[in-house]
Amino acid sequence: MTRTWTPLGAWAGILADGHVGTAGAPGVIALARDGLGVATLIAAEGGEAALAAALAKRPGLDLPSSPAVAHAGAHSLVWAGPGQWLLVAGHRAGFPETLAALSCLAAVSDQSDGRAVLRLSGSKIRETLAKGCMLDLHPSAFPVGMAALTAIAHIGVHLWRGDDGPDGAVFEMMVPRSLAGSFWSWFAASAAEFGCAVSVAEMTAGRG
Amino acid sequence: MRIPCPHCGARDAQEFSYLGAADPQRPDGLDATEAAMLDYVYQRDNPAGRHRELWYHGAGCHAWLTVTRDTRTHAIESIEPVRRRGAGAAA
Repeated sequence: MTRTWTPLGAWAGILADGHVGTAGAPGVIALARDGLGVATLIAAEGGEAALAAALAKRPGLDLPSSPAVAHAGAHSLVWAGPGQWLLVAGHRAGFPETLAALSCLAAVSDQSDGRAVLRLSGSKIRETLAKGCMLDLHPSAFPVGMAALTAIAHIGVHLWRGDDGPDGAVFEMMVPRSLAGSFWSWFAASAAEFGCAVSVAEMTAGRG
Repeated sequence: MRIPCPHCGARDAQEFSYLGAADPQRPDGLDATEAAMLDYVYQRDNPAGRHRELWYHGAGCHAWLTVTRDTRTHAIESIEPVRRRGAGAAA
C-alpha cells in the first residue's frame, strides 16, 4: 500500500467552511486562501531599477514605490517597506521558476508555506477590523490598491485592498503562519456580532 | 503619540521601538580612550525640548528613523530615514 502525503494548508485545523457568530445574513465574509505562492523580494543595494525591469518583463508587474499593490494576471506585487516587496501568485505552478529568474537581482525568500492569507469582505468588515486595526480603512483614507504593514492584536499583519467584489470592499490580510490561529481567534471574536460566513478556498493543484 | 513615518504615514507610537539619542557616534574602538567610551555608552543629555532620537518601525516598514521631537509636547519637528545619512551612520 502506498502512502500519500498531502500538504496541509495554512488554515487547516484553524477554520472550516461554515458560519461564525450571529445567525442570519452574514455581515462579514472570510475566505481562507490556500495554495498561494508567496515570496519576499529585497532589492540589492542600488538594484531597484534592474529588479523593476525584470518584473515588468515577467510577470509584467510595476514595482510599487509607495504602500500599494500592483496586479498582473495571477500575480500581485505588494509594497513591503523601502526596497522590499511581496510577490503573491494565485497558484504555485511555475512559481519556483519565477523566483529563480529574480534571484540574481534581489534577495528572494519563498514564504509560500510561511504565511497565511485571508480575503475579507462584507458590509461590516470595516467595523470588524476597527476593533483591532489602528489604521483608518475608510475609502477616502485607504482606497483600492493601497497596502500597509501594521499590527493587529500584537500580530504583524500585511494588508492590502483588492478590487471591490460583490460584497463591497475586499481586504487581503496576511499573517505569519505560526500566528494564524491567534489571528483567527481575534478575528472570529470581533466578527461574531455581525455574523461571519467562512469558506476555505480549494487547494489548487500544482505545488510548483 | 503618533509618529508620521515617511514610508507608511502617521502611525501609533506602539508600532515603534525607541532606541535613544541619534547623535552620539561610537569612538574608534581601538584608539578610544576609556573616558570617550564612557561618554558614548552612558552619558546622555536629558533635554526638556528639542531632541534628536532613533525610532525603529518594527510593526511597519522595518526602517530606522531619525525623529526630532520636543520632549515637552511630543510635537515632531522632522523625521527622516536613517539610511539617508549614509553608510556607517549610527544604528
